[in-house]
Parts: sequence; structure tokens; C-alpha cells
Amino acid sequence: MANTELIEKINQKLAEEFETDIERIRPDAPLMQTLELDSLDLVDMVVLVEQHFGLTLKAQDFATIKTFQDFYDFIDSHVNESNEQK
Amino acid sequence: MKYALVTGGSRGIGRAICIQLAGMGYHVLINYRHNDAEALVTLQAVREKGSDGELMKCDVTDQAQVSAVLSGWMQSHPDQYIEVVVNNAGIRKDNLLLWMTDEEWTGVLNTGLNGFFHVTQPLLKNMLVKRFGRIINIVSLSGIKGLPGQTNYSAAKGGLIAATKALAQETAKKQVTVNAVAPGFIRTDMTEQLNENELKKLIPAGRFGEPEEVAALVGFLASPAASYITGEVISINGGLYT
Repeated sequence: MANTELIEKINQKLAEEFETDIERIRPDAPLMQTLELDSLDLVDMVVLVEQHFGLTLKAQDFATIKTFQDFYDFIDSHVNESNEQK
Repeated sequence: MKYALVTGGSRGIGRAICIQLAGMGYHVLINYRHNDAEALVTLQAVREKGSDGELMKCDVTDQAQVSAVLSGWMQSHPDQYIEVVVNNAGIRKDNLLLWMTDEEWTGVLNTGLNGFFHVTQPLLKNMLVKRFGRIINIVSLSGIKGLPGQTNYSAAKGGLIAATKALAQETAKKQVTVNAVAPGFIRTDMTEQLNENELKKLIPAGRFGEPEEVAALVGFLASPAASYITGEVISINGGLYT
């Protein structure tokens, strides 16, 4: 489970990048619809994740990321994985 | 330091582009397939422009080879990225389709079209993350108009034009522009066997173009001044075809 600090950081970056009211971002809300993302916007998502979390998102990752909670969990698990490797 | 990669950079238009980018302050990565001597001439010319460069020998048709060379470069330059890539590598194997061999067809497609993918794909993410990139594809009049005896070359260049337009839309928001430059008859090794005296009668400008003229256009597209130009195919052909 992602910690509060990480979730706040993710929410803040997403709200800034996709010009969304941060209040609309809730764990159970659908990520793509809430942020109004189309397939081209996934490029922005890949860049955001790479820049702020040092992770490389692949197309297949989006198959399992449906809600913001899925996204938090994805970032959390991969950030931990990458820290362990270091 | 700013880095630019030019495929097929050992001779002709590719060499002129390397020299142009060196003049703009780029450290130029000169890709070539086999002609070491000519590649060294390009490198020397780059250095005479007051910049520097390095040779990057690999066959753009070979994905594993390209991937190994580019990932090796990226690992040894972890804080740098290649901000300009000029996909210039191309070969011609002209024949009427009636007699065209599989080797002639796939050889031209592999270099002109697959080479673009092999080289550009690994470089794209860093351009997007850094929010600046220039992808410039050297195509041809053949890819716009279609030329008889060149179904393979026309298909490769036409495909590259379509890829240019598609990719431009994927990357525009991140200030990564993607454009194509379509030369007509340019005086290079590739055209030296053509009858220039006869062909120039067809060209409104009355002459073949020079590689440096193509390079100047590429230089402009690579510059920050061209930030709002993307997804375009710009012809440079003396008015031969518009």
C-alpha cells in the first residue's frame, strides 16, 4: 500500500500535468476518465512517471491500471523494487 | 554539450548535414555502415568546423546492432541525450517491379523505413522527457510522387513520410518536432551516374541542388526557430515538383 506522502506527490503531479482539480482524484475513481486522457496523453503519463519517479511505464502496464489506487500501487511497488535493486 | 546523430553520415547529403550541425555547435555522432575512410573524412570536416564528433558504425537495418550501439552510448553518457536525429541512411536498388527481386525490395525497405524505427525508437523517450527533440527524416521526391523503376524506394520513402506525420502528432506537446525533407536531384555519389545535362532541363531552377543546400534546410529544422513546424514534408528540388 502506497504511503500518504507518495500518494500526495502523485496526486499533485497528475493534477498539475493534466490540469485537473485535485479534489476529483480519489483512489477508487477511474484514472483515464477522471484525467480525461486519450491514448496520445499516455505519452505525457510516461514522461511524468519517468521524470518524477524514475520508472519506465510500458504499454502493457496500463492494462492493469484502472483506478488511481492501481496507479499508486504500481508506482509504490516499482519504486520499492528499484530502491531494493540499488 | 548538445548531441546530434546523423545516419548515413559518411558521404553526400549525410556528410553535409554533419558539417552543418557541427557549425551549429553540435557534437555529431556520425553513423555509417562500412566506409571507414569516408566516415573519417566527415569527422575531420566536423572538427574543422570547430566542433567535435565520433564515429558510430552500425547497420541501421540490424535492430540488435543498433540497439547495442545506442544503449552503449546512453550508458556511457547517463546525463546526456541525443536531441537531434537525422534519419538519412538510404539505398537505391532500382528495377521495374516486373523484375524486382525480394532482395531489392526488402533491402531498400529495411534501410529506408525499418532503419528509421530502429534508430529513432530508442532515442525518443529521452527527447520527450527533456522536452526538446528534433527528428528529421530525409525522404525523396520519389516518396511523394512515386517514380517508375523505384517502387521499392518510393514505398520506403512514402512510408517514412507517413511515419513522420503520425509521429509528429504523438510528440508535438513535448516540443519534439518530426519533419521530412524531400530532396529532388542533388549532386552526390547517388546521382553521379545520371545525365545531369539532360535532367536539368526538367528542373525549373535549371540545375541540380547541392548537398549543402539540403543541409541548410535540415539545420533550420533542427534549430529552435523551427519549433512550430512539425509533421511537414519540405521539398527542396528547384521547383521540379510541388
